[in-house]
Amino acid sequence: MNENEILKKFIKDAFDKGLIEAVMAPSATKDSYTYALITKKEDVDKLTPIAPVMQWNGADMIRRITRLKKSERKLLAILRPCESRTYKELVKFNQINPENIIVLSYDCPGTVHARNFKYEPTSAEDLLAEMKKGNISKKVRESCQVCEYPTPIKGVGDIGFGIVNTDEPVFFSLSDNGKEFLASIGIQEGERDDSQWVKIHRENREKWLKEERITGGRKGLEDFLSSCLNCHNCKDMCPICFCKECFFEDHSVFDYESNKYYNWADDKDGIRLPTDKSLFHIGRLIHMGTSCVGCGLCQQACPMDIPLYRLFGIVGNDLQKVFDYKPGINDDIPPVMDFREDELHEFEGLFGGEE
Amino acid sequence: MSEEKFDPVIVGFFCNWCTSAAADLAGTARLHYPASIKPIRVMCSSTVDPVYLIRALQEGADATILGGCHPGDCHYITGNYKARRRVAIVKTVLKSLGFDDTRVLLEWISGSEGPKFARVMNEYTDYIKQRGPSDFKYLDSLGGEEVE
Repeated sequence: MNENEILKKFIKDAFDKGLIEAVMAPSATKDSYTYALITKKEDVDKLTPIAPVMQWNGADMIRRITRLKKSERKLLAILRPCESRTYKELVKFNQINPENIIVLSYDCPGTVHARNFKYEPTSAEDLLAEMKKGNISKKVRESCQVCEYPTPIKGVGDIGFGIVNTDEPVFFSLSDNGKEFLASIGIQEGERDDSQWVKIHRENREKWLKEERITGGRKGLEDFLSSCLNCHNCKDMCPICFCKECFFEDHSVFDYESNKYYNWADDKDGIRLPTDKSLFHIGRLIHMGTSCVGCGLCQQACPMDIPLYRLFGIVGNDLQKVFDYKPGINDDIPPVMDFREDELHEFEGLFGGEE
Repeated sequence: MSEEKFDPVIVGFFCNWCTSAAADLAGTARLHYPASIKPIRVMCSSTVDPVYLIRALQEGADATILGGCHPGDCHYITGNYKARRRVAIVKTVLKSLGFDDTRVLLEWISGSEGPKFARVMNEYTDYIKQRGPSDFKYLDSLGGEEVE
């Protein structure tokens, strides 16, 4: 029995025991995989709990479900580790009501770029087989190759499903709710060692953080974003960009009289149109960078194949270091919602707060 | 343009309760500060979204100052702590992309510190004069010098 079959059996058992009333997990479409919400046991076979593609961030889907009111039915959500970190981050931002929701997360083999998958389909089994050998598949997305937390973490989500470094997949609890859930379903908790799988990702990440950094100020940023269409897809796909009214979509801010444009062109020896392209990216970095969980969907969504995760991931990493904050892995309050009375003196004054 | 003739434009966002009052006090005490400073009175330093600072730089300012009350003295209790986090974010973003992060300045100047206001404005203007014109204004334009 492969991993997907085991998870499907797990879901059916949970339905039988009355522990859950609904499941959210990926389901195959013609060219891709999409999230599906099912409420009946007989629909479980339509699901593929571990999919080779992540088209949307699952936490964003849960946000939509619980946007107005808490979940009225007991929902089991099957999320990748990055999605369960997003879930935790959105709970902190009061965007998800976690009541009645159980999150299951698993050792992630990574996902293939949705467009590549459309032309060269891969199965989850291929990626999982590669993972069991201890290699990160070359097919997976850049953000998956340099993932910081490719496995479930204690305290994030409720149930973990271990695949690496074990002959038979094991279930283990990540929270008290999960412990209770596994006990009522009658599953013995197991253990597996994921340190090697995490280690090879972290090594990749260290190298990536050094080598792919965008430097060079104006020229560097302009070159990096030179093919940007200003479509705002990266913002739409970003699970952290949840604002209903975005500053950058507000046309009262970005509508100008013709003279404004001509004056700019006078001052700056010609301007590029549409204006405010780089401002959008810098502004978005300022707004969401401290909470970037590293799902890499901005990069997947870019129609011009700009490696945006290098921008948001690396600058986000710098921002998170300043506040000593890791999004979605513990209960720390996000930096933009919090402050300390005695901190950050190096940013005061011209010479780091020294008079 | 020679170094002496460069007259920077520095946009100041000054909080209504402290730094703006200090600017008034500096004025009534006839203390000189450079005309390069273009003050904008805001209700609190925390009302200034970091994007406004970036925007000012892009519109042609050579530098921006965010002035607020001393920590603990905020009229709205905690506004300046939030402003400090925002400035920390914007400075980190600028620095990590390779821009000059000293073009954003955060200063605490209380309502009674007229002399400090004049001194900070003079020092900062001198500093910006040394650094030269900002390159940031040419972001997304055809102008500006080629940077290696």
